Amino acid sequence: MSRYLLGRVLQAIGVVLAISLITFFILNVIPGDPVELMMGEFATPEAIAQVRAQMGLDKPIFAQYFNWLTNMLHGDFGVSYFQHKPVFDMLLNSFGYTARLALFAYVLALVFGLTFGILAAVFHNKFIDRLLMTLSIAGVSAPNFWVAIILQIYFGLTLKWFPISGAKDWNYYVLPAIALGTRYAASISRITRTSMLEVTKQDYMRTASAKGVHGWMLVMKHAFRNALIPVVTVAGTDLGNILTGSMLIETVFTIDGIGKLMVDAINQRDLPLVQGGVMYIATICVIIYLLVDILYAVIDPRIRLGGGAEG
Amino acid sequence: MKKLLVLVMALAMVFAIASVSAENAKVLHFGQINPKVGYDPQTNTNSRATTIEECVVEGLYFWNDQNEEIPVLAEDFPEISEDGLTYTFKLRKGVYFSNGTELTTKDVKYTFERMFNPATGALSTYMYNMIAGAKEMLAGEATELAGFEAVDDYTFKFTLTQPFSCFTKNLGIIYAAIFPQDACEAAGDDWGIGTLVGTGPYVLGDHDNSSVTLTKNANYWGSEPHFDEIIVTLFDDENTKLMAFENGDLDLCQVPTDLYLQYQGTPTADKFHKYYPLGTVFLSINLSDEFDGQPNPLADVRVREAISMAIDRETLVEFIDNGLGTVATSTVNPAQLGFVAREAYPFDPDGAKALLAEAGYPDGVTFTAHIRSTDQPDMVQIQSDLAQAGITMKLELVDAATWTSLRNAGNVQCEWMGWFPLYADPDNNIYSYFHSTNAPGKSVFYNNPEFDALMDAARLSTDDAERAKLYEQADELMSRKDYACIPLYYPNYVFAAQDYVTNFTVGNLIYQICYDVDFDMDLYNAK
Repeated sequence: MSRYLLGRVLQAIGVVLAISLITFFILNVIPGDPVELMMGEFATPEAIAQVRAQMGLDKPIFAQYFNWLTNMLHGDFGVSYFQHKPVFDMLLNSFGYTARLALFAYVLALVFGLTFGILAAVFHNKFIDRLLMTLSIAGVSAPNFWVAIILQIYFGLTLKWFPISGAKDWNYYVLPAIALGTRYAASISRITRTSMLEVTKQDYMRTASAKGVHGWMLVMKHAFRNALIPVVTVAGTDLGNILTGSMLIETVFTIDGIGKLMVDAINQRDLPLVQGGVMYIATICVIIYLLVDILYAVIDPRIRLGGGAEG
Repeated sequence: MKKLLVLVMALAMVFAIASVSAENAKVLHFGQINPKVGYDPQTNTNSRATTIEECVVEGLYFWNDQNEEIPVLAEDFPEISEDGLTYTFKLRKGVYFSNGTELTTKDVKYTFERMFNPATGALSTYMYNMIAGAKEMLAGEATELAGFEAVDDYTFKFTLTQPFSCFTKNLGIIYAAIFPQDACEAAGDDWGIGTLVGTGPYVLGDHDNSSVTLTKNANYWGSEPHFDEIIVTLFDDENTKLMAFENGDLDLCQVPTDLYLQYQGTPTADKFHKYYPLGTVFLSINLSDEFDGQPNPLADVRVREAISMAIDRETLVEFIDNGLGTVATSTVNPAQLGFVAREAYPFDPDGAKALLAEAGYPDGVTFTAHIRSTDQPDMVQIQSDLAQAGITMKLELVDAATWTSLRNAGNVQCEWMGWFPLYADPDNNIYSYFHSTNAPGKSVFYNNPEFDALMDAARLSTDDAERAKLYEQADELMSRKDYACIPLYYPNYVFAAQDYVTNFTVGNLIYQICYDVDFDMDLYNAK
């Protein structure tokens, strides 16, 4: 297990570095010069060249990359070209907002997703199943920015229950969490239902039933636990997505999160900020996927990490 | 137990006093899109950042919403030597920065030397680099500004390398705001990020990417500011900003043109007010003989005139821009020096076809316009108009960064442009865009020595009547004979103000939230 973990961690570091390298080169190839953007309409070519030299952008691209990498390994992610703040501080600040929003949205997605999925499977082909799955199709299909605006108009403007923008207190997160979590709740409910229905056809379910296990004990202990593997895969991916920020929800609700930060940085060609953000997103993703793999073994003891699965 | 009781009571009193004072504080809530550029007026030119900066820092002069320049930190307008090269200014006495230090000529010297120090990366040096020694400083050849002389603590002189009639006008722009030397030096790289100290009516308080708090400056030299605090809430979405206004969270905000129509017929629309910025929207055209290695049809003035004739400006303003504009008859805006009422540009698709045939293009012409997403509604309409006259305008949608790079390199053939001066003088927008020294950087390449001579003469003259005449001739030449650009319309903008907001003014895209604006307290308390 520990050998497997060490291997996975080394692999993760390699993935993150490869992503950083690819991003660095892509950003340098696409049109759009950050110095020209920064210096404005009336900058002379000499002034642009001077600033480019000050920022080290006149050096060969490999030298720029290794310079950035060395600084990053020393904890220095650089300074934003446009906001002139340390990138690390900006990421940390935005992570706080994204993490709070993600927490609310994810809890909501898990609670509603699992509950609806289990209920739909238990009441398979009954009215509740049809109702919940219709809702889940609507949840998956509705664009989250549209859900966000509807929530703002109804619960913010009309009923005045919740603030429509900002992130000053917990109540500010209610509407964005619903808007963000709806789609994930819907996808988790659908995969839970499908997986549960698959499991209920298995021999061991009939055996448990024959042994006299009935009702919710049968559903939760025998069916749900065995149905969890695909659910964990989807829910894990969803967690990675939520934690890397949602540009649309953060923009609509004016939350200073990672998604919005990254999109602005890309539009402005704020290279240090984009690089820092990409490192953050890549790191979050590889950690989540690693945790999901470990969780497989915890949920299903037949899975042995690094040694293949027993039949 | 008694001690605990006393402590609880004391705490309760503190909270009670705090809540009462908070309730009684007069606070203006203003909403705008997040500028995301910091608040140092030397290193950004963003009008939304300027709205905040103008509350905190002041310059020698100020342009108000009536397009009048008024002395602020300068006692009066300068004495100008006969040769037009030396300007003598007197600072207002008894003006203190919000940190308690007095404004003197050393702060003026420091401010301009900081601006010309290449390490600062100041963006607007082109407006002030006619001061002797400025170019040497910018080139890193000098560390002191040779053209500055401090006569005493309150009197100083600027010496220019050549006469420039707009020098005092340029000093009225916030880019020349005066900073306190000690505070600015102490702040270092944090200036404009965490720290900004000035002589303005408000002090920069807590600020982040969500909001900026401006508190009343107790040391302010002018009349007492109307509000205890101004809270600027920063949005990323225009829709959300307007919802916040509808919800009563904001007292004031700008209304984007594309959302103007959807509010018509609602009570919110009654709170909308139009204002008229100085700018003009036009089709900017690359006039070089070749473009992308091919002969450029747009180099032929007849093709450019045909384009102008093919565009239905009335429809464009009425239906695409929701009536928020006035059809343009020239590049100079009606509020600017040198504007004269001219006949409307003809809308004549058949005439355009005939003109194209005369120019040797009986089958029409094809060219490409690089556009940003915000330019799309106007440009799609224009594309459709041009097609009626056999002109094919291909639209290539790019992001703002790509657009800037292409344009700076002269690689844009045609583009939508809204170009706004900082004050009502054509030197600030027409010279800066169309003079042959500036046109290549705008991907325009207009080069008519006659036009240049008129613009240069207007820079030297100090007689505004003479300058108006020169600009009138230059505009006629550029907009009506050479069709160096295709003027489309003078845009109107809209802001929303709650019923109790009084005296709100907007000066050239800058929301003047810190001067005249006030509340009618009877209406405010009744809300």
